[in-house]
Amino acid sequence: MRSSTLQTLGLGSVFEIFQNGKLPVTAEELVEQIFGKADNRGALVISGANGIVGAGKTMQLGSRLEPFGIPIVALDFPGVPDGIAKQYPGLVKAFGKGNANKVMGNIIKYSYDGKTLPKGLATHNPKFLLEAIPEILDIKKEHYKTFRENFPDIDIWSVTSGFPSSQLGVGIAHPAFPHEVNKIWEIVEPKPSASSKLLWALGLIPMQVSDNWAFVLDVLFCGLTLAASRFNEATNMPFWKTDKYIRKFYGPNPFRAHDAIGAAGATFLTWSCLHHLSQHYGELFTPTDILVEKKDGGMNWYPLDHFRPMVDWSMNEEEIAEFNSWILGPLFQMTSIMLHENRSHLSQMNLIGELCAQFSKGVLAVTRNLGAAEVKKIVNNYHKLHPEAAKQAWYPEVYDKIDSPEWQQLYVNAEHDGKVGVISINRESYNHDVNAELNRAIDWLKSNNIENVIVTGDFHISTQMVGADTTEFFPAIEDANIGIELSKAWSVTARRLNSDFKTSVGFINGKRCLGGFLELMVHCHYLVAEENASLGMPEVTLPVIPGMEGCHWPLRKMNSTNYKNFLYFILSGKSVKAKDAKGWLTDYAGNMEDSIKMAWKLASDADHGLKKRELNENCILDIPTEISGLDNMEDETITDARKAIMACIQNSCKATLADAISVQAKHSGDFMTTKLCKKGVVGSAYTKTWKV
Amino acid sequence: MKVVESMFPNARIPYGTWGSSYFPAWQTSPLAEVNIGQFAGEAMANILGKRKVSRKELEYLVIGSTIPWHWKFWNGPAVASCMGQRIPGFQMEQACATGLSSVIIAGSEVNSKSYDVAGVLTFDRTSDSPVGVFPERRSYRRTEVIADVWDNFNFDPSTGGTMMATAGLAARKYKIDKKEVDELTYLRYKQYFNAKNSGFLDRVLFSFDVLNVQGKLLGTINEDIGVREISLQTLTDQRELDTCITSGTQTHAADGMATLLVASPEKSKELSSRPEINIEFIAKVDVRTLPGLMPEAPGMAVQKLLQRTGLTMNDMKVVKNHNPFAVNDAIFAKTMNYDWAKMNNTGCSLVWGHPQAPTLTRIIIEALEEAVDLGGGYVLVFGCAAGDVGTAGIFRVS
Repeated sequence: MRSSTLQTLGLGSVFEIFQNGKLPVTAEELVEQIFGKADNRGALVISGANGIVGAGKTMQLGSRLEPFGIPIVALDFPGVPDGIAKQYPGLVKAFGKGNANKVMGNIIKYSYDGKTLPKGLATHNPKFLLEAIPEILDIKKEHYKTFRENFPDIDIWSVTSGFPSSQLGVGIAHPAFPHEVNKIWEIVEPKPSASSKLLWALGLIPMQVSDNWAFVLDVLFCGLTLAASRFNEATNMPFWKTDKYIRKFYGPNPFRAHDAIGAAGATFLTWSCLHHLSQHYGELFTPTDILVEKKDGGMNWYPLDHFRPMVDWSMNEEEIAEFNSWILGPLFQMTSIMLHENRSHLSQMNLIGELCAQFSKGVLAVTRNLGAAEVKKIVNNYHKLHPEAAKQAWYPEVYDKIDSPEWQQLYVNAEHDGKVGVISINRESYNHDVNAELNRAIDWLKSNNIENVIVTGDFHISTQMVGADTTEFFPAIEDANIGIELSKAWSVTARRLNSDFKTSVGFINGKRCLGGFLELMVHCHYLVAEENASLGMPEVTLPVIPGMEGCHWPLRKMNSTNYKNFLYFILSGKSVKAKDAKGWLTDYAGNMEDSIKMAWKLASDADHGLKKRELNENCILDIPTEISGLDNMEDETITDARKAIMACIQNSCKATLADAISVQAKHSGDFMTTKLCKKGVVGSAYTKTWKV
Repeated sequence: MKVVESMFPNARIPYGTWGSSYFPAWQTSPLAEVNIGQFAGEAMANILGKRKVSRKELEYLVIGSTIPWHWKFWNGPAVASCMGQRIPGFQMEQACATGLSSVIIAGSEVNSKSYDVAGVLTFDRTSDSPVGVFPERRSYRRTEVIADVWDNFNFDPSTGGTMMATAGLAARKYKIDKKEVDELTYLRYKQYFNAKNSGFLDRVLFSFDVLNVQGKLLGTINEDIGVREISLQTLTDQRELDTCITSGTQTHAADGMATLLVASPEKSKELSSRPEINIEFIAKVDVRTLPGLMPEAPGMAVQKLLQRTGLTMNDMKVVKNHNPFAVNDAIFAKTMNYDWAKMNNTGCSLVWGHPQAPTLTRIIIEALEEAVDLGGGYVLVFGCAAGDVGTAGIFRVS
């Protein structure tokens, strides 16, 4: 339907992974290419290693490169507070003490004066420099010069927050907060390098972007902050409340984020980004007076504790329309610049906002859902409020392409070779957009007479499938019918994987597949998974009742001897490894390469040796009503949630397959309006973010 | 309309940029539980937002407050920060004269071209007023402890008398009849409820949701809590606490805030929702009468004001006063030969309460709004204040 984001890294398409029966490249070969052979590995140097970015990336890369024997050299000025040691507790939490000690033991710390490199550095044979020093161009350039003089073959990347590669004279790998865990890197380089591919092979998410001022994330996040500060200046609504509305309608809370990161530094970076953008794109990006004041004063955006807010603010419909103009107007205009400049693959541009700036839906998805005419109207309304922004850098024509596959398939792609189709999903949680795009992908494959299909993650942006996007449930919390309709609609889509193809294969390539996504995948005729992938249905812990037929569909495909396994699985909410769920959830679980090969065999009608588990379309009456060995029996909430899920299991299994979809949807939709759900995770999030 | 010279030709009050909270009676609302300075700052930002005025327009803030509040030392700048605007400011204070004088000071600052826009923000919380501990060598205890509101009401250090005693003394001096005072009070309640029912108050008063420390709703301030319709018979039946003074014919302590802007003529047009309306400062005086006769002071202030401007009561389109005691109005009417039924058409502080600093500010706001409804003219606002003081000011709406 469109190109795969994987192709932007020079790694081929998702289809080719299955066709070739293996991943396009391995970390081992790339490590050797960049850092040398195992008996003579060079080092990764991170300069500014005690800063927020430097320390975070020292952890993220250090933990991934340690198994390959690559030393991490952490370089910083003498006297700079140790930012690396602070990371240790997080490292222990993620990897355990033993592994954390190994990672820390592989870090070599050097101080230097900014001019002369430490003598001992050469002994580590530096091969790659990741520069994370302050945003002062001359200092950065001098830094590169020093390294190149000492190590002529060294590769250099900057994590700069704004300078283009053409100004810096080095490649750019712009990371996202929080740096120790966020996997996204915006990469600027003439063509995909081995280093970018290595990031991918290490499980990170490099995204190629063009060489312009600031990055996609920064344009979106700094732009949103700017828009919100303009709204504040126009209406006086305090930052905390503006944040609440932005969070409700769009997802992020930009001011809180600045305070959480550290207002003084974060506001400076935001100002710096906007300042440079305004020099290129004009008034649209000019920092507001309050932004300058906060930057110069270094004060938090939220009030001090003793001035916790006292007067609440609300908006009527007219004011909400104005709010949308102030916030969405500039965002759409800024996005038009990035589209005009072809900054990135549209899916990436869209998902950077979601994965790095907490947008509940990417700006492109929001744009697409509104339609070009409405988008232009909102920008025009914004220009009435802020006429200076209309003078330049507005490209409305980019929105005329909204009907193209690149726009319509932001989250779901489909490819085929005339016989086998591959549907790849790049969003980690299932929402209405994914549902709509998945239907379009199925329609497209059907229209091309494709009978066999593999449904998979995209091997790039989506490193796991965490289930339904629970923010989509919020409207259902006050109206059961909305929940029932949502459940039915998503289930109807899932059933198409069973009914619309001769053979469908669900392929779990990521770390985990949970909740709604697992429900979707089990609708495929076969479920193939990387053996260590975690599978789970954590709904009971939220609590919600699975809405995509998780309470009966898997049971209809398994032997009755496995009922208890499944009931324990769904009622405990505990995950199982794919290899431990063979026969009742998965049909095959092996290492990555073998699993890829098996999926292809199944989809291409090759000899695969697996027996298809048939779907029982009749009423099932022998489902056990009780299950032993469950934890937390004294916890009333979880016990009540288990009862509700068990009731759904019993009733939907007692129904025929044809009727079960409505039975399950009713249980799921009705439950969302109960006190039990409202006081749970979803209900609490709803109250916190929607009851503004 | 007779034309007289403005005291501040370079200053205006932009129509429609003002607003006040409701004034809940003391101890009846969430306002009894807040730092009133913070509340006032946040509430002013909210009012200006609803009035489509950016806080950025403000260059200076005159705050008026008479009861100490936490962090009062920081005064204007602290309150301005709560509004979200880092501007300098200054505090004004003289009991219930504070509101009018705060507006005048802001007018003076703008008139002298120090600023194009100055805010006036007056507020007080009488509930749970702070207690001060003062070394006092002339007292037998050497250290005196006073509750700021009630102990001051009950002791004027200049005369040794109470606030209420001034009303009784003045009523006796002017031979005021209780029947007249009861009838006057009854009319004042009718005027208030007529204004309320007509929607007039909705144009000047703003509702506020007050949050507790957890950010949850503590309560909503959406009416002058404590004000109930009252019958003439009820007033008649009430026991006299002093001459002509009953619980019904005097005001009650309250909490609240009120704000307006003062701006240069050009900026005023820019900020106002109706730029064609011109509101000018004409004159203002304060007088001090003999000991213990506070209720006669406002009339004396008005007399002086009229003498100095050459205007008469017949020139006044709107007459409105701060009348903590109903006898104030009876004495004013008697000394000025003016019909008390013609004044306070939209309510007055006798009815809606007495939060001190913002009292006269709300009176000014209501009076200006009423004058606009009536097509313009001179607006006389006046009132009494602790220390046997009378204050009066005239504005012109055209």
